[in-house]
Amino acid sequence: MNALEVRNLTKTFDGITAVDNATFEVPEGSIFGLIGRNGAGKTTTIRMMMNIYMPDSGEVILRGTKVGQNFKNKVGYLPEERGLYKKMKVWDTLLFFSEIKGNAGKNVQKKANEYLKRFDLLDRKNSKIEDLSKGNQQKIQFISTILHEPEFIILDEPFSGLDPINTNLLREIIVEEKKKGKVIILSTHLMDFAERMCDHIAMIDHGKIILNGSLNSIKQKYAQKNISLTYKGDLSFLNSNPIIEKISDYGNSTGIKVKDASYIQQLLKLLIENKIEVKNFSANEISLQEIFIELAGKDEHELMEVANV
Amino acid sequence: MFNYRILGLLKRELNEKLLSKTFIIMTLALPALMFLIIGVQTLLMSYEGDEDTKLELITESDLLTNKFKTELDELPFIKNNYYSFEYNTMSKESFKDYLENKKEDLLSEKIQGIFFFSDSSKESKIIEYYSKAPKNATITQKLNSYFNKVLVENYFINKNLSENDLDFARKRVDFTGYKISKDQDIEEEGYGGLILSYILTFLLYISLIMMGQMTMQSVMEEKTSRVVEVLLSSVNSKELMTSKIFGAAITGVIQMAVWLTPIVLVSFTTIFALPTELAVNITVGQIIYLLFNFFLGLLTFLGLFAMIGSIFENAQEAQSGMWPVLMLIMIPFFIALSMVKNPSNPIVEIASMFPFANIIVMPARMTLIDVPLWQFILSIVVAIATIIAIFPVAGKIFRIGILRTGKKPKWSEVVKWLKYKD
Repeated sequence: MNALEVRNLTKTFDGITAVDNATFEVPEGSIFGLIGRNGAGKTTTIRMMMNIYMPDSGEVILRGTKVGQNFKNKVGYLPEERGLYKKMKVWDTLLFFSEIKGNAGKNVQKKANEYLKRFDLLDRKNSKIEDLSKGNQQKIQFISTILHEPEFIILDEPFSGLDPINTNLLREIIVEEKKKGKVIILSTHLMDFAERMCDHIAMIDHGKIILNGSLNSIKQKYAQKNISLTYKGDLSFLNSNPIIEKISDYGNSTGIKVKDASYIQQLLKLLIENKIEVKNFSANEISLQEIFIELAGKDEHELMEVANV
Repeated sequence: MFNYRILGLLKRELNEKLLSKTFIIMTLALPALMFLIIGVQTLLMSYEGDEDTKLELITESDLLTNKFKTELDELPFIKNNYYSFEYNTMSKESFKDYLENKKEDLLSEKIQGIFFFSDSSKESKIIEYYSKAPKNATITQKLNSYFNKVLVENYFINKNLSENDLDFARKRVDFTGYKISKDQDIEEEGYGGLILSYILTFLLYISLIMMGQMTMQSVMEEKTSRVVEVLLSSVNSKELMTSKIFGAAITGVIQMAVWLTPIVLVSFTTIFALPTELAVNITVGQIIYLLFNFFLGLLTFLGLFAMIGSIFENAQEAQSGMWPVLMLIMIPFFIALSMVKNPSNPIVEIASMFPFANIIVMPARMTLIDVPLWQFILSIVVAIATIIAIFPVAGKIFRIGILRTGKKPKWSEVVKWLKYKD
C-alpha cells in the first residue's frame, strides 16, 4: 500500500520549470530515495510534498486524502540547508521544535536526553547552538527532526557534512525507524548510499521523474545483458566486437552491455583468451549509478518510455 | 485562531525578545535618557553665558545719564557685578570720535557693547547699540524693560501722571489659557498637555521604529539561517507571520506600558509635585485607548516590517525597502509635532483618522483638545480596516519571500509574487 502518492506535480519559478509533471508513490514502511544530481528538483519536490510550496498543478495524496496541515503534523523534516536558532540553547531548541509539532512534556524530555546521550552531546545541553561545531549542529538538527516521533521522516541530503562515524550512527537510526514502521524519504545525489539503503526510488533529472519503482525490479530490468566488471588489462579489443552493445567506464568498475543475454559466457571467454585479469565479473548486475548515467544521458523521448518500471 | 503551533512560536518570540538585554536596557534607559535630554536642554537654555558683561551707556544729557545710573545700579545682576556699566555723557558728534577710539575694545571684547541714547531717542525710543554681536538677544532682552522704564518715566515726568498710571502704561498684556471641554469644568490650562503630546508622539515613534526593526531583523535572521524551512515543515507561513507580529506587538505594548508609568504616576499621584502649570491630565480611559491604539499600530506596521524582512536577506538590502514604511511613520510624526501650533488645524484632524497616520496623530491630538467620541471610534475602525487590508498582501509576499534566496528582487518582481497561486 502507498503511504504517499505524488501526482503530476509541476512547479515553475520565473519561467523555469523546476519540477515537471512528477508522479511517483512512496509505499508504507519503506525507505524511499529521491535521487538525482544537484539542482534536479529534489528539494522543490519535497517542499511541495510538505505544502511549503504550493504546486502550480498536481497534488500529493496522503493515505487517500490531500496533504495539508495533517501531513505537517506527522512529518519530521531535515532540510538540505540546515538551520537552527544560533542564540538558542541546545535543550531549548529540541523542546521548541517538538512543541510546535504538538509534543511537549516529560516524555519528550526523556527522549531528548536519550538521543543526546546517544549522539554524545549530553554535556552540551546548555550550550548555545552557535557554540557547537558544524557537525554537532547537524546532529542536534537531526534529533529535532525525529524527537517528536513522526510517522514520516524526510531527510534532504542527510549525510552531507557528517564524518564516517556519525554517518553510520545516522544510518543505524534510520534503519531502526524503518523497523518501527516509519516511512523514510531521503533525497540524495549519492547513488551508492541510495543503493544500499533504499527499498524504493524515484530518479529525478531536470525536474522530470525518469525512473520510479522498487530498487529490486529496477535493477532486474536494467541488469539484463549487463555485466559489471573489475579487471586489469586492456579492453580495447572489445570495441569492434559484434556481441558488444556498449562499454561504459565508471572508474572503479566497467559496465559492459552485450547484445543478447546468451553472449555473456562468450564475453567471459573472450576476456580470458585476451589475457585480461578478471577480478570481478557479475552477470546481470548493474549499479544505480550506471542506470542513472544511462538514463540521464538519453533524450526526452526515450525517457518517457523507460519511466515507471 | 491561536493553536498550539502559534503558541509555541509565540512563546519563543516573547522569550527571545522580552528577555533580551537590548530590550531591557532600551525599555529602562529610554525614559532616563529622555529626562536626561530634557535636563541638558533646560540647562543649556538657562545658561546664557553673559556673566561678567561690561557695557557702556552714553546719553546726551547728564540728567538722563544719572536717571539710568540710579535705576540700573539698583538691579541685582548689576549690584553683584554680573553686568557692569560705565556711564558717560557726550554729544552726538563727540560720540562718533569716542566710538572710533573704543573700536579696539569692542573688537577684543574688553567691553561687550555701547548703548547710545541720542536726544531724539527720548521720544522715539530708538536706542543705538554698538557691539561685536549686536544681535545677541541675551543682553538686549535683559535690559529692554529697564531702559523702557527710564525712558517712560523721563517722558511723562512733566506731564503730571501718577505712579499708578505709569505702572499701568508700562505693563504688558498677559494671556491665561482656559481649556473648554465637554464634561469638565472650565479650568486653567498649563503646558502639561503640550508636553504630554510631545512625549506621546516621541514614544510612539521610537517604539514603532524600534519594534519594527526588531521584527524585520528577526525575520531576516530566520530567512538567512534557513530555520524558516524547518519551521515551515511544522507550521504554515501565516501562523509563522502571525506569531512573529503578535510576539513583537505584545513586547511593544509591555514596553509602552513601562514608558507610560511615569506619566500615570505624575497624573494620578502626588509623588511628583509638579507646578500646576505643568500638570498632566490623562484619564484611565485614555491610557487604555493609548495602549490599544498602539497595539493596532504595531500590528499594522510590524506586518509591513515583517514583509520587508522577508523580501531581503540582509540589513543593507533592506534599507532600500524600508523607506516607504518609515515614511508612513515619519510623516504622521511631523504632523503630530506641527499640532503644537494649532491642534485643531484640519490636516491634523484628517490625519488623526487617516490610515497609518491615525496611530501617531490621534494620541497627540487627544492630549491637546477634546476629541469627539465618533472620531475616536472612526480612528479605531480605520486602524482595524487597515490591518485587514494589509495582512493578505503582506502575508502573500512573506510566504514567497521568506523561502527565496539569491539576488535582491526588484519591486516589479515582488508585485508579481502577489499573483502566485497559493
